[in-house]
Amino acid sequence: MTGEKTVKISPVTRLEGHGDITIKLGKDGKVKDAQFNITSTRFFEKFLEGRFAEEAPRFAPRICGICPEPHHLASVKAVEDAWGITPPAAAVKVRRLLINAKQLSSHALHFFALAAPDFLVGPFAEPAKRNLVTIVKAMPDVGKMALQMMQFGQELAAAIGGTAIHPVTAIPGGMLNPFSEENRDKFLKQIADIRQWTADTLTLAKKVFDDYWDTITKLGVVQTYYIGTHNNGAHEIYDGSIRVMDPEGSVVADIKPKDYRKCFAEYVPEHSYATHVYYKPVGYPDGVWRAGTLARTNVVDKMATPLAQEAFEEMRNRLGHPIHATFAYHWARIVELVQAMEELEILLKDPQIVSKDIKLSVVEPKKGDGVGCVEAPRGTLIHHYWTDEQGIITKANMIVATNNNVGGIEKTLMEVAKQVFEQRAHQKLKLPKPMIG
Amino acid sequence: MFKELYKSRLRCQGVTNGLTAAGQKSASTQKPKTKVEDRFEPRILAFCCNWCSYAGADLAGTSRMQMPPNMRIIRVNCTGRIDPVFVLEALNQGADGVLISGCHPGDCHYTTGNLKMKSRFALLQKMLEEAGIEPERVHLQWASAAEGDVFTQGITSMVERIKALGPNPVKKD
Amino acid sequence: MTKRIALAQLTSCWGCDQSLVDLHLGLLTVLPEIEIVFWPAVVDFKLKDLESMPDQSIHIGLVEGSCRTEEDVHLLNVMREKSKTLVAWGVCSCYGGIQGLANQWNLEELVDRKFMKADTVTDPRVPSENVPVFTETVQPNVDIVEFDVLLPGCPPTSKNLLDALTALISGKPFDLPEKSVCDQCSKVKQDKHIKEFHRTHEGHIDPSKCLLDQGYLCLGFATIGLCGAICPNVNTPCKGCFGPVIRVRDHGAKIISALGAVAEMEPDKLRESFPDPIGSFYFTDYAASYLSRIRTETRRKKKK
Repeated sequence: MTGEKTVKISPVTRLEGHGDITIKLGKDGKVKDAQFNITSTRFFEKFLEGRFAEEAPRFAPRICGICPEPHHLASVKAVEDAWGITPPAAAVKVRRLLINAKQLSSHALHFFALAAPDFLVGPFAEPAKRNLVTIVKAMPDVGKMALQMMQFGQELAAAIGGTAIHPVTAIPGGMLNPFSEENRDKFLKQIADIRQWTADTLTLAKKVFDDYWDTITKLGVVQTYYIGTHNNGAHEIYDGSIRVMDPEGSVVADIKPKDYRKCFAEYVPEHSYATHVYYKPVGYPDGVWRAGTLARTNVVDKMATPLAQEAFEEMRNRLGHPIHATFAYHWARIVELVQAMEELEILLKDPQIVSKDIKLSVVEPKKGDGVGCVEAPRGTLIHHYWTDEQGIITKANMIVATNNNVGGIEKTLMEVAKQVFEQRAHQKLKLPKPMIG
Repeated sequence: MFKELYKSRLRCQGVTNGLTAAGQKSASTQKPKTKVEDRFEPRILAFCCNWCSYAGADLAGTSRMQMPPNMRIIRVNCTGRIDPVFVLEALNQGADGVLISGCHPGDCHYTTGNLKMKSRFALLQKMLEEAGIEPERVHLQWASAAEGDVFTQGITSMVERIKALGPNPVKKD
Repeated sequence: MTKRIALAQLTSCWGCDQSLVDLHLGLLTVLPEIEIVFWPAVVDFKLKDLESMPDQSIHIGLVEGSCRTEEDVHLLNVMREKSKTLVAWGVCSCYGGIQGLANQWNLEELVDRKFMKADTVTDPRVPSENVPVFTETVQPNVDIVEFDVLLPGCPPTSKNLLDALTALISGKPFDLPEKSVCDQCSKVKQDKHIKEFHRTHEGHIDPSKCLLDQGYLCLGFATIGLCGAICPNVNTPCKGCFGPVIRVRDHGAKIISALGAVAEMEPDKLRESFPDPIGSFYFTDYAASYLSRIRTETRRKKKK
C-alpha cells in the first residue's frame, strides 16, 4: 500500500432506497472508516403537518413502495391511538391478512431478487449476470416459483387494500371495504401451491446455507443489540410489545409501543441522511441495534405457527442464540416466510375474515397523540402523530425500519471491510461452485 | 452545454400536457427587462362580467369618475366563467393583484354564475393563504351596471391595498 | 433486435419499480425483448457504467422519482443524454410526487424539523459529508430536462407499464387517455347537489353510489383515467394520485372550479370543509402547481 485510498460504491445495488458506500483506507492499508451514505430523504415528518389525520394512511404508504402495507397500517393505528378508537375484531383480522400478504411477497422478492443472485450466480460473477433475470433464464422453475409467490402476496394485498402499491382501505375505525367471499375462495384455492412453494424455498435456502456455511459463519458476524415485536413471547408483526435484546442475548427492555421514546433515540451522522436509531439507555454507538428478520427471530421465544417453529428451531440449533451472523438474516427471512404462509392460511379459513362488520359508524377526532407500531419486512416501524381537536396533524415523528438498521449495517460494513481489505478474507472463504455457471 | 441541451421543450405524446405546460409558458412569456420604477405602480388585472361590472366600468368612464390607471380589464360573459386557473396564471405572470367584479347576488344574468364564483373564491383564498401567498392580492366585488361609483371605489381601494402589500415577487424585473 | 433499456431512480419510494416487478409472469414475455443496461434496484450496474455509455445509446430510458438532491439532477441529465426516448415514469417524475408537498416550506424548515428537532433525535446536526446537497424545492422533472413520454401514476399500474413498454419497444407511440377516473368508475352517478362534505372516516359509504354524490371528496372527475378507478371501486375516495386529466393546467384549480359549481352550501361552510386545500387537492402534484411555482420564484428572488 502506498497512499491513502477511498473505495466508493455508487450506488449500492439490489437495494431499495438510495445509498452509497464509502470506505477509507489508510497508508498502512488499514480501514480507517466505513460509511453507508443514505443520499436522499423527502421530509415526510414536515409535510404531514396540517393534513387530515384520517388521510395520513394514504400519505404514509408512499414512504416506501416496496413495503407500503406496514406504513398504511402503522399510520392508521397511530391515528386510532390518538383518537382513542378500537376497530372491530374483523377489521383487525383483515389488516393482519394484509400485512402477512405483504410479508410473504416482500420476503420472496428479497430472497430471490435481491439476495439469491449472490448465492446462485455467485459473488464473483460478472455484474451483468448477477441478477434475477439470470436466475429466471438459467433456473426457470425456480424463477417461476419466485414470481408466483410474489404474485400471490401482491394480489392478495391488492384484493384487501384496493391496490398493493399503495393500499387505500384502512381508515380510523376499521376498513372501508370488506374482504369478499369470492376473494377468500380464490386465494384459499391457491394456498396449497403456496404451501408447497414455501417448503421448496426452505429446502433451496437450506442448501444455499449449507453451501455457504463458511461465509455465513465467518463473514460479517457482528454483535449488536436487537429489536423486534412479540406477543407473549411469540413472533408477531401486527400488534404486540417491543423487546430489546442485548448482544449477550438477555432481554433488557420490554415495552409498549407508546413508550418507544424510552428506548429509541436517533443519532444523526455527518455522512448520511438516514439517522441511526439506537438503544437510548446505552447510548451511541454501543447501543446500536438491528431490526428485521434476524432481530425478530432473536428476540422472540418462539414462532406463532408450527412449520415456522420447526424451521426456527433448526436455525437456532445450528447457529445458536442470539445469532450475530449477518448472512443469517436470509435464513430468518425464510423462517418468517413460512410463518406468513401459515398465518395467511389460518386467516383465510377464519369465517370472520369476510365479515361486513369492519368499520365503526361513529369515529370522532380528538386532540391527542398516538403511536402506531408494526413490523415491516425490514424491521420495527413506528408512526407517531399529534392531532388537534379537528383531527388535523400538528406534528409527526417516524422511525422507519431502515433507520433501525443503518447503524448495524455500518457496523457490519466496518467489520467486513476489515476482513476484506486487511485480511483478504474473501479469498480464503470456502465457496461452492455456483448453481448457475 | 447542459443548459442548451436541456432547455425544456416538452414534447409528450403529441399533445402538450396542460400541467407541465404551465411552467413552460411562464418562461416563454418573459417580458423584456424594464427599468424598475422608484415608485411602485401595481399592475392589476380585472375580470368584469359583461352584464353588470363591465357596464359599470363603462359608466364610470363616461361619467368621468376619477380612478387610478393601474387596471387592465378582461371582459367575461359571467364571473361564473372565470376558472380559478385564470387568476393563478395572472399571478404567475406577474400581476400584482387580480380583481373579480360581477353582478350582485340575485342579479346574475345566468342566475347563479356569480354564486359559483363566490364559492370558488372562498376556496381559492384559503389555498393562497395555505401556500403562503397574500390572499389580499385577489379580490371579489359586486358592482351593477348602474354602480360606476362602486366600481371606481373598488378599484381605488384595490390599488391602495396592493400598494401596501408591495409588488408581486414573481414579477420579472 | 432487443432494445437497450435503462431504469433510473431519483428520490422516490420505489413503488414504480415494484409495480414493474409486479408484472410477475408477464415479465417473462417482456424480458426476451429487452436488454437491461441500468437498473440499480435489480441489476448491479453502477452510475459510472451509465456515465460511460455513448450518448443516445439507450433506446428507452425510464426515470422515476423527482430531484430532491443535486445528485438526482445529475442522474436525470445523464439519463437524458444517454437515452433516445426518455419516459417520465410515475407521478413523481411527471409532476413532482407527494414530496412536492414539502414545497409549502423553505428547505431550512424541512431540514430543521428532520435533523434538528425530531422528537427522538439526540445529536442534532445537518449531515454534510459524502451526501449531495438538497435542491431548494422539488420541481417536476419535465421542467429540468425534455421528456418524450409521460406515464403518470402513483405508481402506474403494472398494466399501464406493460402497455407503455410494449408500445415503445415496438416503436409505436404511447398516448395518454383523454378520460377521467369517473369515466372508468362503475358507480351510479346523479346530478350533483352536495349539501355537506364528509370526511372519509365518517359514516358508511354506500358501495353502489357515486362517492362525490354522497358528499365524500372523490377527485375522480379531475384525475386522469389510467388506473381503472381503483379507489372508488373499493369504496374509497380518489385522491387524484395519478395527476390531472390531460390538458388541465392546475389540478387544484380545476378541483375548486368544480366544487364551486356542485357544492350547494354557503361559501364559508365550503371553505371550512377544506382547511388543508393543498393536501386535499394536490396530493401528488403540488410541485407542478401555480402556487408552488409562485412560491419557488419568490424564494429564489429572496435568496438573491
